[in-house]
Amino acid sequence: MTITICIGSSCHLKGSRSVIGRMDTLLTTHNLKDRVTLNGSFCMDDCANGVCVTIDEDHFSVSPETVDAFFEKEVLGRLNA
Amino acid sequence: MKKNFVTDINKIKFEVYTEVARMAFAGELDAHKDEIPYNIIPGRTPIYRCCVYKEREIIRERVQLAMGRTVRPGSAGSKNIVQVIEAACEGCPINRFNVTNNCQMCLAKRCLGACNFGAIRFEGGHAVIDHKKCKECGRCAQACPYNAIADLMRPCKRSCPVDAITMDEDNIVVINEEKCINCGQCVVNCPFGALSDKSFMVDVIKMIKNGARVYAMPAPAIEAQFGPDVTVGMIREALIKLGFTDMYEVSLGADFVSKHEGEELIEHYEAGEKMTTSCCPAFVSMIKKHYPAALKYMSSTVSPMQATARLIKAMDPEAVCVFIGPCMAKKAEVIDSITFEAADYAMTFEELASMFEAMDIDPADCTEELQQGSRYGKQYSISGGVTAAVLQTFKEAKKDVDLKVHTCNGAAECKKALMLLKSGRLPEDFVEGMVCEGGCVNGPAMLYKDRTFMKERNQLINSADERGVLENVARYDDLKVDMTRTFQ
Repeated sequence: MTITICIGSSCHLKGSRSVIGRMDTLLTTHNLKDRVTLNGSFCMDDCANGVCVTIDEDHFSVSPETVDAFFEKEVLGRLNA
Repeated sequence: MKKNFVTDINKIKFEVYTEVARMAFAGELDAHKDEIPYNIIPGRTPIYRCCVYKEREIIRERVQLAMGRTVRPGSAGSKNIVQVIEAACEGCPINRFNVTNNCQMCLAKRCLGACNFGAIRFEGGHAVIDHKKCKECGRCAQACPYNAIADLMRPCKRSCPVDAITMDEDNIVVINEEKCINCGQCVVNCPFGALSDKSFMVDVIKMIKNGARVYAMPAPAIEAQFGPDVTVGMIREALIKLGFTDMYEVSLGADFVSKHEGEELIEHYEAGEKMTTSCCPAFVSMIKKHYPAALKYMSSTVSPMQATARLIKAMDPEAVCVFIGPCMAKKAEVIDSITFEAADYAMTFEELASMFEAMDIDPADCTEELQQGSRYGKQYSISGGVTAAVLQTFKEAKKDVDLKVHTCNGAAECKKALMLLKSGRLPEDFVEGMVCEGGCVNGPAMLYKDRTFMKERNQLINSADERGVLENVARYDDLKVDMTRTFQ
């Protein structure tokens, strides 16, 4: 699985770096680093809904506050599906 | 600032970046970006192409890339830094070998004898190649005593070290992103400027305008890029005028890399293992994509860009760190290494020159003096420079290490060494890989590499003090910055 997180200026200001940091920590604690790749991206052109995150082809809007819930539902949910 | 553009392609790129930067600083880019093609290509008389409409479409596509977008709607998923400007691609002749008028209609007809595929025939005594049969082996061209058979491989394809260039049904260039290492060779070598790199410039300008603490990290190749007498101190002053909070030379991070990589190398050497460098992002990408069996030999030290960013963030946790260099692959490194807690953005000297132009700032007018990196760090940007710096750390620590080094100058040498390394036949212990021939000073986004450039650059570097690498690193010991890369 590849998770792509926008690092454009708008998402940066909305906390994309802390989303990345938290996501990386969660992947480490769940021992998923070898199954999930975290990647950055240029502006995804959906700044109003930042922080923009995609898993494979699907788009999501995540914030530093919602990253844990997002991880639980979308990342673990998909991996365990 | 005096500007000598290598070609008109560089001039057009500069004009586009400058317009985009000017509008971004003024906060009117989104409202006025559609005017840029008309500002750059006014009137109705074309200069470069068949008509102004085509010229403007090329500018429009370049504006998209300058804003970090892809050219075509629906291609936003493309992660590649290097992108095709479709309107600019002339779909060069696809037939690689062609008989020219130099054919003397000779008796020997060695071309005919050399061809194993029956692709040579004669019309009125003149050799002709049947392109349906030709396998592009090149034997006919080698055999002709008059050099009458021309090898017309497309410049983009010829320049690509990893065979990532293909064409669509209309002969328009297509990049195979699975293979591409974003080295930028095709960008430099396409005579029509049909390839270019995506940019983070607008993001950086927006961060500056938002009041973020944005730090510039110029690569060591910057010496003499903005004028023969323009020192890094003057560059710093100009960057601060532009709105950056401060600047740290990447040569400083390079000193940390020399120390860390040197210690790692001794461990590897004593364990009987080989090791490669990890500072050139195109070399790292080449290993990952084309020689994955050699990945285990790669140094686990971060690149000088990441080292510098970690150092800055240790001093200012709010810092947004922007690398500025001659390299397009560095942008891919930023995207691939988001978990490193290091560099936030990467830009090129081309983009920086346009930001200076847009804000009417000339580093040559500045006067400040500064030195952060050692001379060894500053020479990371030439082939052999990384090896020399790592060996220097042994000398400074009075360690007697008798290991053999192998310097790969350019992509072809990198490929050869990696092939030997992965099959266990490389005799040397340490491999320095730089995909650009000559090193970063010959990078695809260098502004200026005239004949006098290396002389001017060396004069500037020789005017720096002779501090040692380890002594320089020790100044920051209390920060205790970890320089190990995390692998993904």
